[in-house]
Amino acid sequence: MAWIWLIFAGLSEMLGVTFMNWALKRHRWILWVAMVVAFSASFGGLELALQTLPMGTAYAIWTGIGAAGGVLTGMLFFGESRDWRKLLWVAVILSATIGLKLVA
Amino acid sequence: MHHWLRVGLGAIFEVSWVIGFKHATTLGEWGLTALAVYLSFYFLITASRRLPAGTVYAVFVGLGTLGTSAVGMLLFGEPFSWLKLGLIGLLILGIGGLQTVTTGGES
Repeated sequence: MAWIWLIFAGLSEMLGVTFMNWALKRHRWILWVAMVVAFSASFGGLELALQTLPMGTAYAIWTGIGAAGGVLTGMLFFGESRDWRKLLWVAVILSATIGLKLVA
Repeated sequence: MHHWLRVGLGAIFEVSWVIGFKHATTLGEWGLTALAVYLSFYFLITASRRLPAGTVYAVFVGLGTLGTSAVGMLLFGEPFSWLKLGLIGLLILGIGGLQTVTTGGES
């Protein structure tokens, strides 16, 4: 269950970054509200995951999903460049993240 | 140089709130944890105004990951493994690499 909370927290972090990106472009207050809700969900999920998982592993995976996911959503929804080097580094982050899940 | 000091302070407060999330039990401890969340964001944001934001983020996350792992293993008796350490290194490398190719046109 802790892993589900951790993945939920990572995805919420990614959503929070996406809403922030969006809010900076569209200036709609509802987007700022959505951002706050997403970041709160992210912190809540991390709190629950940390009740059983080690700090280093949980923090690394949480931040890894946020960083890789932020780049992917930027490419998919905000027209950021789809440079192959970016995709390569995203693949490195995701491999390390999955590896950490497997060894923990 | 003192702007990089802000990045270091931000990372120290980042590690502090992660410890708080895992170990805080009393109202006072939760209060300190909330203060650490605030201070880590404060130092991260003020450092990003003066330094390249992508680099600041990568260094901040790298320090946060190293700090939480080190504190977990050294002070809280969490299991140690070279493989885990190697994967954490790979993740930091990935985030650093990603920042080197995304800095510039994007914020």
